[in-house]
Amino acid sequence: MKHIRNFSIIAHIDHGKSTLADRFIQFCGGLELREMSAQVLDSMDIEKERGITIKAQTAALQYKARDGQVYNLNLIDTPGHVDFSYEVSRSLSACEGALLVVDASQGVEAQTVANCYTAIDLGVEVVPVLNKIDLPAAEPERVSQEIEDIIGIEAIDAVRASAKSGIGIQDILEVVVSKIPPPEGNPDGPLKALIIDSWFDNYVGVVMLVRVKDGQVRPKDKIKFMATGAEHLVEQVGVFSPKSVQRDVLNAGEVGFIIAGIKELKSAKVGDTITLMKTPATEALPGFKEVQSQVFAGLYPVESHDYEALRDALEKLQLNDASLKYEPEVSQALGFGFRCGFLGLLHLEIVQERLEREFDMDLITTAPTVVYELVLKDGSVIHVDNPSRLPDPGKVEEIREPIITAHILVPQDYVGAVITLCTLKRGVQRNMQYLGRQVMLTYDMPMNEVVMDFFDRLKSTSRGYASLDYEFKEFQCADLVKLDVLVNSEKVDALSLIVHRASSVYRGRELVSKMRELIPRQMFDIAVQAAIGGHIIARETVKALRKNVLAKCYGGDITRKKKLLEKQKAGKKRMKQVGNVEIPQEAFLAILQVGEK
Amino acid sequence: MSVIDLSGLKGGLRELPPLSLYIHFPWCVRKCPYCDFNSHELKNSSGQTVQWNPQAGVASGGFDEMAYVQTLLRDLEYSLPAIWGRSVSTIFMGGGTPSLFSAQAMDTLLAGIRARLRLSPDAEITMEANPGTFEAEKFRGYREAGINRLSIGIQSFNPQHLQVLGRIHDGDEARRAIDIALSCFDNVNLDLMYALPGQSVEQALQDLDTALSYGITHLSAYHLTIEPNTLYAVRTPQNLPDDEISADMQEAIEARLAAAGFEHYETSAFARPGRRSRHNVNYWQFGDYLGIGAGAHGKISSHEGIVREMRHKQPAAYIQAVAAGQPVQSSRKVKRDELPFEFMMNLLRLTGGFETRLFTERTGLPVSCIRNELQQAIQQGLLEQDATTIRPTLQGQRFLNDLLTLFLGDGDQ
Repeated sequence: MKHIRNFSIIAHIDHGKSTLADRFIQFCGGLELREMSAQVLDSMDIEKERGITIKAQTAALQYKARDGQVYNLNLIDTPGHVDFSYEVSRSLSACEGALLVVDASQGVEAQTVANCYTAIDLGVEVVPVLNKIDLPAAEPERVSQEIEDIIGIEAIDAVRASAKSGIGIQDILEVVVSKIPPPEGNPDGPLKALIIDSWFDNYVGVVMLVRVKDGQVRPKDKIKFMATGAEHLVEQVGVFSPKSVQRDVLNAGEVGFIIAGIKELKSAKVGDTITLMKTPATEALPGFKEVQSQVFAGLYPVESHDYEALRDALEKLQLNDASLKYEPEVSQALGFGFRCGFLGLLHLEIVQERLEREFDMDLITTAPTVVYELVLKDGSVIHVDNPSRLPDPGKVEEIREPIITAHILVPQDYVGAVITLCTLKRGVQRNMQYLGRQVMLTYDMPMNEVVMDFFDRLKSTSRGYASLDYEFKEFQCADLVKLDVLVNSEKVDALSLIVHRASSVYRGRELVSKMRELIPRQMFDIAVQAAIGGHIIARETVKALRKNVLAKCYGGDITRKKKLLEKQKAGKKRMKQVGNVEIPQEAFLAILQVGEK
Repeated sequence: MSVIDLSGLKGGLRELPPLSLYIHFPWCVRKCPYCDFNSHELKNSSGQTVQWNPQAGVASGGFDEMAYVQTLLRDLEYSLPAIWGRSVSTIFMGGGTPSLFSAQAMDTLLAGIRARLRLSPDAEITMEANPGTFEAEKFRGYREAGINRLSIGIQSFNPQHLQVLGRIHDGDEARRAIDIALSCFDNVNLDLMYALPGQSVEQALQDLDTALSYGITHLSAYHLTIEPNTLYAVRTPQNLPDDEISADMQEAIEARLAAAGFEHYETSAFARPGRRSRHNVNYWQFGDYLGIGAGAHGKISSHEGIVREMRHKQPAAYIQAVAAGQPVQSSRKVKRDELPFEFMMNLLRLTGGFETRLFTERTGLPVSCIRNELQQAIQQGLLEQDATTIRPTLQGQRFLNDLLTLFLGDGDQ
């Protein structure tokens, strides 16, 4: 066990985590050069394109250190976005150490800080590395100081490296060996294996990435999941190099995979503990949590007959993404669809993109919303994740909205603008701390405001420098109202929103004016109204077209003119017919564009 | 052996619609920037554009008119089996610029046609003519050859607009052409365009008033449309009137024509009573037409269904193909599920709509197969139906495209 090192990399998006991981694999000969496609560990197309890691991946590396001994290094890649913080905490708790990779020109970002704190809380040894040291703008001294100021770990002798140019790779591997402690655990105790991640493989079923804490696991062992109680027979165990390599046994301290003929991802939940049936552990490993959806949105097929196809697509996506929740929902305006729960906005975007790209779905996504807690007059408490399901105001005693604590790390120059933005979003300042050239702002904010467009606006007000991390704090009573949108006097349930009363009139006006821009002119005038209760607060009119007719059609024109009309029809098909009005997909998300100038 | 009527089963037709003949003349003096018809500029042997000179006639042009006439007649002969026994009720000579051809050439052509098929004694025989090609002598000759209707592509009388449209004539030539036309013909159509670059509502009405000051029987008023594959599609004029202004123009034009005693019978066509274009009405009533000449399209019904065919577009390729005995470049049977749309695309252009029975007569399909679509169109206020007739409402005429897309069927079914 003393030759094992389990570690992960904490880094902000773009700070070079994946590139660095690739260098380690190359250095240790995990893959032939020809097998290296850029950024091996990010295997989903979307991960590669967006430069973010969604699923944890791992690589078992053989490293011959300068002391002449061979070490087994297990690199556990972690997701790098606020939506996936639970996954990050599970990956980290499988490690004894973490490399904190910081871009030497950009400095520390909020996401990194949050993950570092998680690591420190879990007792993981954090080892700083300065990356992109060869950039002209690199300021290693300043950034080292910043790491010390903000995170509070010693960083003066941080390894200076450049993953891109291959500088300092071996130095990093040396500190992994020297600074990160070997795993501890009882090889002879009852099995305790932590599920770091799990995913569905078409051939073998569910594959679980695990860290064995105590005991050992072999093929033909009968295992039990301590949180779900499910029981299965182990078929294969092995490690990823990052190619999968079968082994006879996984021992305490090791990271590897278990395949046990499991058909459903939900029986292998991330964070659960696996033990043996015959000699079960008495206590599960700490930290297991049921994943909670934070953001909800309706997904509807543009063509109602694609409903079945959408359900199949969601089912397939869920095979590999247990955090995606969905249940059937009916909207008066949009017909049959699904209410889906996501970890956050990014997660929503990824799911939406995968449905469109991998499953060729034409979708209407309704405005994302959070869960509200309602106390009814009869004293009961309910949770509502769909504005159109808000009960009659007469029955509601109070509405409580979710409040998050946001940590924003921003360079001093942009502090003013960010504070203005936070105030605009109904944030309450809790703390403000100067850390070198950066400022750590802590705000309590309604999650609803953050879900809308806060992240984008934060990025634009700070020219991309501000970074954000948040966690749920509490439900808090607030003066909230339901804002309805009426199209030609008919309420469109899919467009309803829950907003704060103080900003409701402004929101309503902006929303209908945005919708007027987005709805194309049609055969008749279209009135777009915003209403609270029965009271209209804003109105805009999409003026009717005067005509839509082809001037000429003679004997030779039939085919061409038909094509022209087919094109017009295809354009209409991408819109949703609500009453007799054609509403384009983007109009359902018009609220996200409100306030953009 | 008893005769069993299988027409109902095959979706065939019990009776054949009227038959027209379209003849295409593919050459023009110059290609107009808005024109997407099959027309080719006159070029001499070295490929240079030929300067049109009315006095010199076609002799100086880049094509041999008599050879083309012979090719047309040979083309016709290959098609005779498909229309055997049917009489032709209208002929339309379109282009290009048919009036580049001499009266003699037209006489030879029409004589040749009469010798080969049955032409109704009262057949409407229309020729398109461009004002830049007018000459009194020649037009008397056309009339004597049997042409009894002229359609003149005036487009505008305003010199400034004629210039942007790339027309070879000016306002005076336009007026002279109409005078000549009316001295030999009593049935004359003028083509006008509106919503021209920089045009005001007043200017559009001025053009119309000038046209109406002559004793014409028919007028077509076209909204200038930017068609793909035209010069305008590449270099779209900047100052086109907006939707509001062009719709105002259309309404003003319709009102003035109505006041002048013209019936608005099709989207862009207006006629004095009894003077509708019988040839075009046959298109719009989903009648049959044989198309001969370069790039001509035809639609021929038989008890087996409806076939659409097209001839080679390039004059040289067409002439060669006819010589080789294969004038038709492509032909395809119209599928049954395409018929309702194609029928509607034509019939609903007529402001008076159609007698319901005509649907079955022309498509071989029961009206019940478009019940839902009709219902939807009526609900949307685009269509009205009584015991015998289906017709577009005024809204349906203005939004004909929206009305027609209802009949397009679903792409994925």
